[in-house]
Amino acid sequence: MSEQEIRSRIKQIISNIAGLDPQRIGDDDSFTGDLSLDSLSMLEIGVDVDMAFQLGLPDERYKEVRTLPQMVALVQQRRSEIGGGVPAGALQEAVS
Amino acid sequence: MHGRIAVTGLGWVTPIGAGRDEVWEGLLAGRSGFAPVESFDTARFSVHVGAEVRGFDARPWIRRLDPGRLGRASQLAIAAARMALEDAGLADLDAESHQGRERTGVVMGTTSGEPREVERFDDRYLAGDTAAIGAEFMGLYPCHMIAAHIAREMGIRGPVEMIPTACAAGNYAIARAFDLLRTGRSDLVLAGGADAFSRITYAGFHRLGAIAPERCQPFDRDRKGMIPGEGAAVLVLEPLERARARGARVYAEVAGYGLSCDAHHMTAAHPEGDGAARAMLAALADAGLEARDVSYISAHGTGTPTNDRLETLAVQRVFGEAAARTPMSSIKSMIGHTMGAASAIEAGVCSLAVATGRVPPTMNMEAPDGDLDYVPNAARELDVRVAMNNAYAFGGNNASVLFRSTEH
Amino acid sequence: MRRVVITGAGVLSPLADSPAGLHAALCAGQSALKPVELFPLDGVTPRPAGEIRPFDPKAYLGERNLRPVDRTSRLLLVAAQQALESAGWTAGERAAREVGLVLGTTFCSVHTIAEFDRRAVQLGPSYASPMDFANSVINAAAGQAAIWHGLRGVNSTVSAGEASGLLALAHAADLIRAGRAEALLAGGAEELCFESFLGCERAGRLGLSVTVPFDARRDGFALAEGAALLMLEEAGSAAARGARVLAEVRGHGKAFNPAGAEDEASAVSAVARAVHLALEDAAVGPTDLDVLSLSANGSVHGDHNEAWGVGMALDGAGDRPVAAIKAMLGEALGASGAFQAAALLGTFGDGVVPGVLGLERTEGGFPLAGVRAETRRLGRAPRLGLLHAMAWDGQSCALVLEAPPEARP
Repeated sequence: MSEQEIRSRIKQIISNIAGLDPQRIGDDDSFTGDLSLDSLSMLEIGVDVDMAFQLGLPDERYKEVRTLPQMVALVQQRRSEIGGGVPAGALQEAVS
Repeated sequence: MHGRIAVTGLGWVTPIGAGRDEVWEGLLAGRSGFAPVESFDTARFSVHVGAEVRGFDARPWIRRLDPGRLGRASQLAIAAARMALEDAGLADLDAESHQGRERTGVVMGTTSGEPREVERFDDRYLAGDTAAIGAEFMGLYPCHMIAAHIAREMGIRGPVEMIPTACAAGNYAIARAFDLLRTGRSDLVLAGGADAFSRITYAGFHRLGAIAPERCQPFDRDRKGMIPGEGAAVLVLEPLERARARGARVYAEVAGYGLSCDAHHMTAAHPEGDGAARAMLAALADAGLEARDVSYISAHGTGTPTNDRLETLAVQRVFGEAAARTPMSSIKSMIGHTMGAASAIEAGVCSLAVATGRVPPTMNMEAPDGDLDYVPNAARELDVRVAMNNAYAFGGNNASVLFRSTEH
Repeated sequence: MRRVVITGAGVLSPLADSPAGLHAALCAGQSALKPVELFPLDGVTPRPAGEIRPFDPKAYLGERNLRPVDRTSRLLLVAAQQALESAGWTAGERAAREVGLVLGTTFCSVHTIAEFDRRAVQLGPSYASPMDFANSVINAAAGQAAIWHGLRGVNSTVSAGEASGLLALAHAADLIRAGRAEALLAGGAEELCFESFLGCERAGRLGLSVTVPFDARRDGFALAEGAALLMLEEAGSAAARGARVLAEVRGHGKAFNPAGAEDEASAVSAVARAVHLALEDAAVGPTDLDVLSLSANGSVHGDHNEAWGVGMALDGAGDRPVAAIKAMLGEALGASGAFQAAALLGTFGDGVVPGVLGLERTEGGFPLAGVRAETRRLGRAPRLGLLHAMAWDGQSCALVLEAPPEARP
């Protein structure tokens, strides 16, 4: 899965949770700063990202993520650790 | 219309014991109620400690109803109610005249009611066995059944009300009881709160990252969070003139209360402690008191980084120069966060503080985070003329209740 | 003593999404009850329910993010918006002066708490939804409404089953009378969900053949959902801002039956006592009443106890016209009492009392002659109305409303 696809999927998750237009989420945006996401939304995003990419990461890892680039990097790193490659269709079902 | 309202009895079931003296002595001695969770398997959680009520048999306290047909919170609540009535010298309330019981009310608070009934429902649902879900779900789960069960147990026929305003519910219940008595709708009200330990509540706070791994350290620089608990507390409230007429022992009077709503966020308080400050100010105004008249504050003090910081800030705003010299302690350092029971238990603490001139400590304090007097690690003798009980809840329900000595 | 007036109302019900729409639909004998589509009826014999369908919250509330808000709260947000607009409380005014909220609800959302638990159990606690947890507490909807609409006044939640809505009105009136608030939205909200549907069915409360209030053939109620709020205000400050007054809350009373619905004598006396206390608080006598709105919903014992209890309390005035709106609306639990109050305002406006849809005959010795199947117009403008609601746990709550002089037709 390409970095662009990962970023796009994460933007979709953020959009679902925070009601933001994905087109208006900047590639380098910070969550609490640029996107004004509150603590509850951040927790929810962490859960949905973990389920969408089947990362199996402990909760604490998501607390350290403050920006979209950091989240993308986390997903990429974790997927390469666990030998990534989850069919896109499965992602769609995991997060509805 | 009744003027002054007195606290004449209290009963409680807590993670460090049950009954007035056992719990009060335990609080003064700094006894800890934290232990590995026993009521469900915490293997999949990253924390494993809770403040459960252990080894308490509610059955001897439940004399009319069938304990097997009551949810856990209701069992604890009935036990606390009977203890409170005995403490008030009113153990034979249910033998009183029909008319007397029509003038008696029950007001209870809770956060989740009987969540174990939802767990039972879900276990069957997930097992594909909805046929096994019976009449008990609707009979036990709705939270108003807690107040109803107390009333059924005691044959009470007056106002019976449930105020589920989460972690501030005990204070809301006492506030409502205060108003019922002052307006003459009742002559006696059992007021308090109850909540049962459950995997749902534990999972919820765990999901918010709010649970501390070993112990609760309110107001400490190194505090890591709250510890979920359970319990029940009931206070007997009646008009002061009536209490004196029957020779009852009066712990304290309820001097007034204040409620406020942050209208800010579902799980986070207003960033400047705005709602908390407004509730304190409203309570002081209601009681005709100034902040400097307050001798002791029983804090909400959950032990989370955010709550304790904002609560300290709010107290500083309201008390100004008097803040640093007004002792404030959190018993959640010992019994954890008992949810809807918390502020009812803390109301009991305030009543006893006024009556006995002693205040419980904030335990587990190694380095205070702020310059307030958190009564670190040891109980203290203190002339408590006025005690303030503060409680804050999800959804921004804030409540402050003031207790005052009747000797002045 | 401070007086409490009603200056606005908001309704979101299976029959209509406004107080006027609700009153018109009730008087036209429309039924809200239809097959459930909101959830599959796994293991439950199909029964009609009062489901709000379609429900498009964004059509009422605009594009603000609703993801953190569950169904119960969404129903409430809509009713609250309507009530605030109807009472003329703009956002600017709410920022300047505090408006609060007292909400009656049985569960808030049993579905949300159950979903939270199921996901935690099935996927593990790390995958439970934090937003669901925030909505699992029973005061969640009141909190959501306060945030959404900027309601910084006193905020409380009361839970009393079918009596929650009236109890919330009583609490709000008491807070205003005591000077603790000047303006409070008060009422109730409850959603239809599988958990409560199954629960009521297993408890034998859902009717299978006849869910008509007071009907001798009745065998239980039909479940429903919705939200309704009234704006209660201290009379002087309402007048000062030029608010239109829809009614005055004259008084209320409460009582509890600790012996269970099958103990008829105990149950009837609790109902009678609640009504008696309400009349006493309102300083009116039974013969002063013009119309009654009762909470009968088809329950075998409940309807009987209510009728006999009201009859006992109104000795001499048992012939007053009776609205039993659950014949059309179904039983919306926490929202019911608020629906009753909002509908009564409609009767104050045009003098029309909805009939009890589907009523064929009442049981022998039925004490309330004013219970009829047909809608009718009152001979004279109604001035005083009595509302009563009882919950299955034994609570009874009664409220007296008075129509303002200029509103009477």
